[in-house]
Amino acid sequence: MEPVIETQELTKRFGGLTAVDHINLSVLKGEVFGFLGPNGAGKTTAIRMLTTLSEPSEGTATVGGYDIVTQAEQVRRIIGLVAEKLIVYPRLSAVENLMFFGELYGLSRRQLKDRVENLLRMVQLEQFRDMPVGGYSSGMRQRVNIVRGLLHDPEILFMDEPTALLDPQSIRFVRDLIKDLNHDGKTIVLTTHIMEEADELSHRIGIIDHGKIIAVDTPAGLKSKIGCETLEEVFLELTGRALRDSASNRVPMRIVMGRI
Amino acid sequence: MYITFRIAHKDLLDFSKAKMLLVTFTVMPIMLMSLFGFMFPQAGTSNPFSGKVSSPYKNVPMALVVEDSGSFALLVADQFKEIASSTGLLEVQDFASFGAAKERIVAGGLRGVVVIPGGFTEAFNSRRQAAVLITMDDTNPTMASIIYGEASSIFMMISSRLGASLISKMESSADLSFLSEPISVERRNLVSSTTNTFQFLAPGFMALTVVTGTLSGLAAAIAREKEQGTMDGMIVAPIPRYAIVIGKTLAQTARGMIQAGVILGISILFFGVKIYGSPFLMVLTMLLGVTSFAGIGIIATSIAPEQETAMMMMMLLQFPMMFLSGVVLPIEQLPNWLQSIGKMLPLYYAADALRKVIVLSASFTDILLDVIVLIVYAAVTLGVAIPVFQKAMSR
Repeated sequence: MEPVIETQELTKRFGGLTAVDHINLSVLKGEVFGFLGPNGAGKTTAIRMLTTLSEPSEGTATVGGYDIVTQAEQVRRIIGLVAEKLIVYPRLSAVENLMFFGELYGLSRRQLKDRVENLLRMVQLEQFRDMPVGGYSSGMRQRVNIVRGLLHDPEILFMDEPTALLDPQSIRFVRDLIKDLNHDGKTIVLTTHIMEEADELSHRIGIIDHGKIIAVDTPAGLKSKIGCETLEEVFLELTGRALRDSASNRVPMRIVMGRI
Repeated sequence: MYITFRIAHKDLLDFSKAKMLLVTFTVMPIMLMSLFGFMFPQAGTSNPFSGKVSSPYKNVPMALVVEDSGSFALLVADQFKEIASSTGLLEVQDFASFGAAKERIVAGGLRGVVVIPGGFTEAFNSRRQAAVLITMDDTNPTMASIIYGEASSIFMMISSRLGASLISKMESSADLSFLSEPISVERRNLVSSTTNTFQFLAPGFMALTVVTGTLSGLAAAIAREKEQGTMDGMIVAPIPRYAIVIGKTLAQTARGMIQAGVILGISILFFGVKIYGSPFLMVLTMLLGVTSFAGIGIIATSIAPEQETAMMMMMLLQFPMMFLSGVVLPIEQLPNWLQSIGKMLPLYYAADALRKVIVLSASFTDILLDVIVLIVYAAVTLGVAIPVFQKAMSR
């Protein structure tokens, strides 16, 4: 399979901090690529660069064959973004939100009307279509956020923690939807902290830590290489068990409260 | 182009759904007008005749038109100039006709005109009261009435000196008013009816609301979208980034114009304000005022890390501007260095032009200087702002 996303020494610095450190990565056409890493490892920053939201400090990348800096506009046409921070206007209804974003992709109102209806039906929100999104539950809002990224039928979909903060029913719904979209031929870059989810959905997994790619393989390949039963064990083995952004070990509650 | 309007439309739709915001948005201009309208006096108190005049204004430019070539008229004109310059109140300039002087008032070079009309000497010689006519720049009633008071006091001084000398060689045929006051002063307005403080405040507040409303509205809107994440949804779409900026500016301008409309409506209905000039020029001036500021708002918002900082930055800009640009108080009351700062702010020119259009029925050529300053401001600030915004959005 041919790669649709390729990065060469892609780097992003914020002042003295290197968030993404010379990563070389390729995502193949038609795969679900699980992009994993502890908090602050550089996942979101890397995705922001690949989706043209942020310019790299060094290195290059192509998405669908287009350069993310010099051909940003072409990249934008073929990618869809399901961001971690939901991209919805809370005061507007689902239909108003989707019509607006759809028009930004040059779709006509007539074309969009049917598509929005169908997409809302797909995520089972048709009876809430005219309610302000601010009044939705987290699960409903996330479903609007997901179809927002699908309006222009993108080839490549970036999904940043699409199941965070959802109930088990919504999580199941979103996972099935991801499988369905992948069957439809879409390449999906997925970030998540739920290891079983990554295991279930991804064809290949890339693990990033401290801005560097430390492993890329299939879930089964990773497990056998590291010699672990579950992906979670692989992850902890590779990235360590210590809490991020902390210098000391965990102090038990009974000591904190002076009971000992 | 369509996308720009679509973004503006989305912003206005979003705004129209915020009920509380809509209420505050309408009440704000009503409150501003009522508070300031009543806080300041209808017109300044003119100085009683004392021979000495105390005034916040010095060396105010006034025209003197002597239409009578008689010796008495020339004598009075000389005395007027002498007293005006010795007290340092007025800086008297000679003009050939009232028309020429009026043009200079509208162009902004003069604060008023004193006319010694034809027949002045003849009236005096035939022992009738000889009248002097004074016309003020009524865009600023508070200041106009104070300066009017000064000018008329000077004539009262001249008049009483004459009166005294006349009484000493009293003639039985003279009438009483002539004896007590051989020279009287009347005020002649540039426009047909008298002006009031609201006439001064309304255009200023309209300019202020449009400009500051757009500034803070834009800052809040961009910062909010950045924070809530929806800005990413627009940036990730295949549209030029300037379309986002311009679309949002359009929406805020529309809001500002609606507020200005509310102010004008209230001023006309409740405070007796009249529009003498062309409504088209009025709208044009306000639009230019907004454009001149949009750039500054975009730059501030692009630099500010989050909404609260953006709003504080806007407050920091707006507050001094309100007092330095002659919107609430005539800037002539300020020390020179503060006046110079005020005259560097685009709001000064927007308010000035709007006032001339509304109160003095100024034509496009009369406000040309204001228009040029505003266009230059807009071009420079937007020229800087759009790249700054693009840079900020790809951090």
